[in-house]
Amino acid sequence: MDITSLFTQFLSGLTYGTILFLVAAGLSLIFGVMNILNFAHAALWLMGAYFSYTFWNLMQDYSFGFWLSIPLAGLAAAAVGWVMEVVLIKRIYKRELYEQLLITYSIALILSDTIKLTWGVTNKLIVRPEIIQKPVFIFGAPLDSYFIFVILAGAAVASGLWWFLKYTRYGHIVKAAVHSREMVAALGIPIPRIYTWVFTLGIFLAGFAGGIQAPIGSITLGMDTAIIIQAFCVVVIGGFGSLLGTLVGSLIVGEVMSFTILFWPEGAMVLIFVITAAILIVRPWGLFGTPMRT
Amino acid sequence: MKNKYLFPVALFLLAIALPYIVPEFWVHVLTEILIMGLFAASFNMVFGYMGQLTFGHAAYYGVGAYTTGLLMVKANVPLLLCLPLSMLSAGLCAAVLGYFCVKLRGIYFAILTMAFGQLVYYIIFQWYSFTGGDNGLQGIVPPAFLGKAANPYYFFTLIVVAIGMIALWIISESPFGYTMRAIRDNAERTEFIGINVQRYMHLNFIIAAMFAGLAGALWGPFNRSVAPDLCNWQHSGMPVFMTVMGGPFNFLGPLIGSAIYTMLMAFVTSFTEYWPMVSGIIIILVVLLLPGGLLGLLEDKFPFLRRKDDSEKGAEE
Amino acid sequence: MARAMDNICENILKIDRLKKSFGKYSVLTDVSYSLRKGEIAAIIGPNGAGKSTFFNLITGYHHVDGGTVHFLGREITNWPRHRIARAGISRAFQVSNIYARLTTFENVRQAILAQEKRTLDIFTPAHRLAEKNTLELIDLTGLMPNRKHLAGILSQGDKKKLELALALAGKPELLLLDEPTAGMSSEETQETMELVKRLNREIGLSILFTEHDISVIFGYAHKLSVLYQGMVIAEGTPEEVRKNEEAQQCYLGEEV
Repeated sequence: MDITSLFTQFLSGLTYGTILFLVAAGLSLIFGVMNILNFAHAALWLMGAYFSYTFWNLMQDYSFGFWLSIPLAGLAAAAVGWVMEVVLIKRIYKRELYEQLLITYSIALILSDTIKLTWGVTNKLIVRPEIIQKPVFIFGAPLDSYFIFVILAGAAVASGLWWFLKYTRYGHIVKAAVHSREMVAALGIPIPRIYTWVFTLGIFLAGFAGGIQAPIGSITLGMDTAIIIQAFCVVVIGGFGSLLGTLVGSLIVGEVMSFTILFWPEGAMVLIFVITAAILIVRPWGLFGTPMRT
Repeated sequence: MKNKYLFPVALFLLAIALPYIVPEFWVHVLTEILIMGLFAASFNMVFGYMGQLTFGHAAYYGVGAYTTGLLMVKANVPLLLCLPLSMLSAGLCAAVLGYFCVKLRGIYFAILTMAFGQLVYYIIFQWYSFTGGDNGLQGIVPPAFLGKAANPYYFFTLIVVAIGMIALWIISESPFGYTMRAIRDNAERTEFIGINVQRYMHLNFIIAAMFAGLAGALWGPFNRSVAPDLCNWQHSGMPVFMTVMGGPFNFLGPLIGSAIYTMLMAFVTSFTEYWPMVSGIIIILVVLLLPGGLLGLLEDKFPFLRRKDDSEKGAEE
Repeated sequence: MARAMDNICENILKIDRLKKSFGKYSVLTDVSYSLRKGEIAAIIGPNGAGKSTFFNLITGYHHVDGGTVHFLGREITNWPRHRIARAGISRAFQVSNIYARLTTFENVRQAILAQEKRTLDIFTPAHRLAEKNTLELIDLTGLMPNRKHLAGILSQGDKKKLELALALAGKPELLLLDEPTAGMSSEETQETMELVKRLNREIGLSILFTEHDISVIFGYAHKLSVLYQGMVIAEGTPEEVRKNEEAQQCYLGEEV
C-alpha cells in the first residue's frame, strides 16, 4: 500500500468526519444543554438536503444559487426546528427519559413521511457549478474538489461555534447551562427561552449539514436512518455537550470507517460500535465530556 | 383477588375463539400480535419492572429468530427443539452484552443497549456466508403437523406465548420480581439491604432476553423467513411503543399495546403507505395525553380493575 | 444487661486513621474510633463535621481514601455495600431512603426476603413468603396502621420508622442510625428511642447514632464522641464530654 492511496483514504475519512461533525455538533449541543436525545436530528438533516435542492432549483439561473442554497437550507430547517420545539419539545422538558425519546422518535417518523409527501420518492440530484466538477490532486492524491469546500465549511462552523461559546454572552450562558441549569436560572435568565434558541441553533446546524451533503451524491429517502446512529456514536465518543469532543469523535469515526474499509470492509460499522461501547463502559461521559449531573 | 385472573382468562378464551370468526388475513395479524406481545412483555421486564429503558432489545429477538432459522434451514432441527435453543442463544448473548449494560443507568443504559443492538445487527448483516446478509434466510417452513393454513400455526403460537407469559408472570410476582421493583424504585437502598444490584439486574436482563429470543424464534416459521432488520434499532423501538401504548405499569399492558399497535398498523397500511406518520402522531398523543397507557386509563376510570397490591400506578396520586 | 456486660471488652467496630476528601476538600482528616459490643454510642458535631461521611465510609457508600475499618475482627474497608450489609451492619438514613412506590408491607418484606436470601427465588409467589416475620417487624416499629399504604405517602415520622424497620430487617449486629428521630414528634421520638434501647438490652444490638437533639443523647447514649473539622476531638460518657472545655467551645456550648 503506497503513501498516496493512504493519503486518499485519509482525505475521504476527513470529509466524512466533517459531515458527521456538522450533524453531530447540533445533537451534542442539544443534549448537553437540554438533556434531550434528539432522534429527529437526522430527519431534519435530510430535510435540509431537500430544502437545499428546492432552493437550488429555484435559483438555477444565478451562479450564486448553488452556494446560497446551503445556508438557506439551514435557515429553513431551523424554522421547522423552532416550530417543533415550541409546539412539542417544550411540553416534555420535565418528562421521563423514555417519553422524551419517544417524542423525538415520533417526530422523526413524521418528518420522514413529510419529506416523502413533499418531495416524492424519486432521488434528487443537484448539478454542481463547473469549478467544482473536476477532482484536484493533493500530493498526488485525487480529491473531489467539492470536498475542499466541505472541509473548509466544517472548519468554519467549528471555529464559529468555538468563538460563539467562548466570546459571546449567549455562548457563556449556553456553556453554563451544560454544567448547571440552576446557575443559569439563578442569573435570572429564562431557561425555556434558552432551550428554544439552543434547539433552533442545533437544528440550523443539522439543516446546514444537509445542505452541504446534498451536492455530494443524490438525495435519497432513508439516508437519515444510518447517519443518526453514527452521529450518536460520535457524540458518545466525544462526550455530550463538548464541542471539541464532537470534533474529535467525528474525525475518529470518519477515519476509522475510511481505513477499515481498506482491509476489512464488512467490519467498519462493527468496529465503530465496539469503540462506542468501549467508551461508554469505561468513560460514559466521553473523551472530552464532564461526568453528568444526575 | 378473585377476579385477578378474570381478565387474562377472558383474553385467552377470546384468543381461542377469534380465529373461527375472523377472516384468514386477521388470523395472521393475531399471530403477529401474540409474537410481538411476548416480545414487548419481555422488554417490559427491563423497562417496567427494572426501570431501565433498553433500546436494543431487538438484538435478542433477532438472535432468537436467527437461531431457529439457521437450525431449521441448515440442520433440519425440529421446531420444538429450536425454541429452547433460541432462548439459550439469546440468553448467552445477553449474558455477555448485559454484563456491561448493567454498569450504566438511564440514558447511558439506553445508548449502550442500542449500540450493542446495532453491533449484533451489523454482524448479522455483514456475515453473508453464515446468515445470508441482507437477503436474510428464506424457506423456514413450519413442521408438517402444523400444516399450511393460518390456524394451526396460530394455535401453536398461542400455546407457546401463553406459556411464556405465564412464566414471566410467575417471575414478576416472585421475590426476584419484587427485587426488580425495589431496584427500580431505589437501587441504592437495595444495596444497603444486602443485595448485589448489578448482579440481579444482569440476571433480569438475561431472563428478558431469553423470552425475547423465544418470541423471535416464533417469527421465522410464521413469516417463512428472517431478515437482519429484525435486530436493528427501529425494531427495538417497537416494544417501546407497544408497552407505552398498553401501559408499562400493568403486566398485560405490553400485550394489549401489541394488539392495538399491530391492528392499527394492519388497518392503516391497507389504505395508505404513510403508516410511520400515523404511528408517530399516535405515539405523541399517547405520551402527551395518556401517560399510563390504555390500561392505566382504564384503571383510573374503573378502580376495581386495579389489583389490591398493584402499587405501581397510584404512586403519584 | 448481663449479656451486654459479658461482651463489653470486645470491640465490634474498630476504625483506624480514616481519611476522606472530595477533590480538594478534606472531610475526614484522621478519625480513629472504636465501639464495644452491646454499646449505644452517639456522635455529634456541627453540620459539615463529617458525621454522614463517617457513616458512608463504614457502610461502603463512599470509597475510603486512607485508613481501615474492622468489623467483628474482619477488615471490611472498601467492601461493596451489599457485602457490608450482609456482614451485619445495617443503616438507617438521615433523609428517608425507602421504596416510595411499594407499600409499607412490601418495603419491609423486601428487606426481610433479602436477609433470608430468598430474593433469587423466581418461582414462589412473593405474597406467600415471610408474611409472619414482616408483620412482626411492622408491629414492632409501630407501622401496623400504615402497612397497606404506599411508602411514598407516609408522614415524615412514619417514613423514619420504616427506615428503621428496613435497617432492622437485616438482623444486624451493628445498627447505624443517622439522625433517627429527625422529623418525628416528641412521642414518636421517645417510642423510637425506647425501641432502640429495648433491642440493645434484649438482643445485645450495638448501636451507633448521630443526633441533634441533646436530650436524646443524654437519655440514651453510653458513650459520646464529638466530631469536629474531620477529627474526633473529645470522647467519653455524655457527662464527661459535657465537662470537656474544648468540646464545649466547638459545639456543645452553643446548645446546652
